[in-house]
Amino acid sequence: MPGVPGVPGVADGPAALVVSGVSVRFGGVLALDDVSLEAAPGHVTGLIGPNGAGKTTLFNVVSGLHHPDHGTVHLFGRDVTALAPPARARLGLARTFQRLELFGSLTVEENVLVGLESTAVWWHRRHRRRRQGPGALDEADRRRAARAARILAEVGLTSVAGVQASTLPTGLARMAELARALAIDPRLLLLDEPGSGLDRAESAALGDLLVRLASSGVAVLLVEHDMELVMRVCDPIHVLDFGHVIASGAPAEVREDPAVQAAYLGAVPDGVGVAGGDR
Amino acid sequence: MSDFLQYTVFGVMLGAGFAIAATGLVVTYAASGVFNFAHGAVGMTAAFLYWELVVHDHVPVPLALVVVLLVVAPLFGALVERVLMRRLHGASAERPVLVTLGLLVILTGVATLVWSPTVTRVVNPLVAGTFRLVGVNIEYQYVITVGLAAVVAVALRLLFFSTRTGLALRAVVDDPDLLAMAGASPNRVSQLGWVLGFVLAALAGVLIAGTQSTGVNIAALTLLVVNGYAAAVVGRLRNIPVTFAAAVGIGLAESYVNSYAVPHLAQNLQTDVPLVLPMIFFFVALVTVPAARLRAVGRLTTVRAQRLVGARQAALSGIAFAVVVVLCAVALAGDQSNGTTVLDLAGQVMAFGIVGLSLVLVTGYAGQVSLCQFAFMGIGAFVMGKVAGGGSLLGLVAAAGVCGVLGALVALPTVRLRDLYLALATFAFADAVATGFFADVHVFGSGGLTVGRVVLPGLSFGGDRAELLLVAGCFLGCAWLVLALRRSLVGRRLVALNDSPAAFATVGLNVPATRVVVFAVGAAMAGLAGALYGTVEGVVGTSDFSVFAGVIFFLFVTTWSVRSVGGALLASITYVVLANVWDNGLGLFAGAGVILVGRAAAGILGAEPLQRFAPLASRSTGRSGPAGEALGADSRAAEGAFALGSEARAAG
Repeated sequence: MPGVPGVPGVADGPAALVVSGVSVRFGGVLALDDVSLEAAPGHVTGLIGPNGAGKTTLFNVVSGLHHPDHGTVHLFGRDVTALAPPARARLGLARTFQRLELFGSLTVEENVLVGLESTAVWWHRRHRRRRQGPGALDEADRRRAARAARILAEVGLTSVAGVQASTLPTGLARMAELARALAIDPRLLLLDEPGSGLDRAESAALGDLLVRLASSGVAVLLVEHDMELVMRVCDPIHVLDFGHVIASGAPAEVREDPAVQAAYLGAVPDGVGVAGGDR
Repeated sequence: MSDFLQYTVFGVMLGAGFAIAATGLVVTYAASGVFNFAHGAVGMTAAFLYWELVVHDHVPVPLALVVVLLVVAPLFGALVERVLMRRLHGASAERPVLVTLGLLVILTGVATLVWSPTVTRVVNPLVAGTFRLVGVNIEYQYVITVGLAAVVAVALRLLFFSTRTGLALRAVVDDPDLLAMAGASPNRVSQLGWVLGFVLAALAGVLIAGTQSTGVNIAALTLLVVNGYAAAVVGRLRNIPVTFAAAVGIGLAESYVNSYAVPHLAQNLQTDVPLVLPMIFFFVALVTVPAARLRAVGRLTTVRAQRLVGARQAALSGIAFAVVVVLCAVALAGDQSNGTTVLDLAGQVMAFGIVGLSLVLVTGYAGQVSLCQFAFMGIGAFVMGKVAGGGSLLGLVAAAGVCGVLGALVALPTVRLRDLYLALATFAFADAVATGFFADVHVFGSGGLTVGRVVLPGLSFGGDRAELLLVAGCFLGCAWLVLALRRSLVGRRLVALNDSPAAFATVGLNVPATRVVVFAVGAAMAGLAGALYGTVEGVVGTSDFSVFAGVIFFLFVTTWSVRSVGGALLASITYVVLANVWDNGLGLFAGAGVILVGRAAAGILGAEPLQRFAPLASRSTGRSGPAGEALGADSRAAEGAFALGSEARAAG
């Protein structure tokens, strides 16, 4: 399957994400050094690099969990560098975590519900109940449950909707994180190694899902070690090494880039089979 | 000038005592990852044992020191590590906090049984007498304390940096499993940490008690050693030199404030401030010093989620509960036990039950360990007694309101604290309120504060029966509220926040605001409970809301189950019945309970055999789903793949 260059029908608006000149220092280690990159709506943008290259740190900076020492982050044309994570989420940013951060004591469905309800305020609910009678409330709940079911179906978790999330095996847990991220109806989706722990069939299905999301206008930024998946769905691809962006471009360009081959793909012909998480 | 020198000498000496206590905590924490809440109680027990030997049995001082510091303390430390702590490996983060809290109340409980809690004992200094130096009176005890602190500092420095054991002690902090692979035994290192910690606690206890020329009682001495906790927190639980410096700084600050500022205060404040000061230092240290990255004692275990109680089941249980209460009210009127009517006891159960419900909300759902619910309870009772002359409905509302606002004020600075640090901060707050506010003569007074019973226009709850119905009604209301919240999006949010704050924030929810609100609501419930407790008892006093009583009640709730309404009610029944039968034994039962429950985070009611009676969430998906426990991870993943593939194909 070819890459997904600019999807027809999706207007080329402002970039969903613009990271410019971001640096992060942990003690003596420069985790990110003057990193700049963009992610556009309608594209699955790849972010690859060896373990410890700074990919997860960059995600933490973009989602607001970590403040950069230098540089700015813009979401949908707005400078969000000083905003807290919830404010960024309300702008349409959702993410998953490489080290799983599910709500373990809730069921899979409840995990999705927390995402769906993130903009709901309970006293508004009471207000609505008073104004429109209890029926309106039930209707809202029903709609929400139906949406949760749709999202779970989309990532293939329908059969485990009622299972406590902490008991899921890794692959399913990653899909549950993806479902929770989708629940806040994101315009920019950061995925941190969603494919690790998945087998070939699962990861192929994940690729299809990402392509569908992009074609509906979502900007997807994908960190992944599964090169087959990255090369199939991502365009463009950014390569991070020791906190630097060492290459950016279409899959073919990146694959042929000597710096990339030296830093990352060197030992792996054809860029296949570097799957696995960094832990 | 010579006054200043005198205060400085005293401050340095006090600080040296705190430093010994604090380094003991740090060593134990470094070696085992457990903050020993019972550290102060160990020091107290050692000091009283020393008193028993020297003053009561006339054993020579050197022999007594050898027995206390080199035989009893190390053996006890080793025993605690082996029996209580080692089996917590792999338990969730709050279990070690609970078990050391259990040890704390057991030690104070045993001390209470052996040595009367109200009697003040003078523990002799190791060497009596003073000498003069540049116009300053210096007790030999001061010199010994500072000298021993220096010896401890040098010895620990040598141990940590010049021995293989020290290397292992430093390594075990980072990764016990790696240490094991390198050939050292993490268990032995951990045990050494506990032995050293107990010896240092005992030494600090004996020395600090010896400087209190007017004598000490059990609670006072325990809390004196707690002064060292603040220094350990400033040293971020690992840096011994910083801990030492902080301890001396705290000793000096206390000495100066007590000498220069306190004499200018009002009479009642002159007694309050010196008692509250240490806890204020402690609280400030906790909220200002960046929290140490807490080590989990092992991998976090998966806690099985408590099943949701449906609206219908809650309603049926509520009706059944109401019927039982009404029957009790009718049948038990007039029965007495130890001079208290059984109806009063039932009323107490309901009042404490509401405190338990506040814990279900704050600790059980939102995962915030709060040891200060009794402080809010006492404040609630105080407000109830003062508003409109006591016994008014307005008082109930005011009690909840005042405590809600206070709860928010406590939660604001502590909002970034979790687990151990939050437990310590709420403990410090509870103790500050108990010693500085409740103990003040103007608050509860010497004979207690008369609260009176609620009178509404045309309706009086003066009779025991009506009173019980009122309090039980409030309990039912709070229980309904807690269960309804858990079923709603609020409940899902609280549990989600507890499970993963990072994910909570990135789905667009506000972590600090949620924590402050839930803490405030819990405080308001505890305040209401206190007001109701006041109406049941008629008169309330300082001892009703002591910090140790609060810890004991907290432990009963976690032992039964801090995630369920039933746990709150059973804990309350246990607490009230035991307090009525054997008040001094409460701590023993609470400590034994939490130790027996051990690593099972869900408590007795959450135990597997009991949960089996309930319909498990995973069963509702039927056997066809990949959720069945019997299926291995591989087959589950495979089925997930199939589902994912087929769904994607169907959609595409």
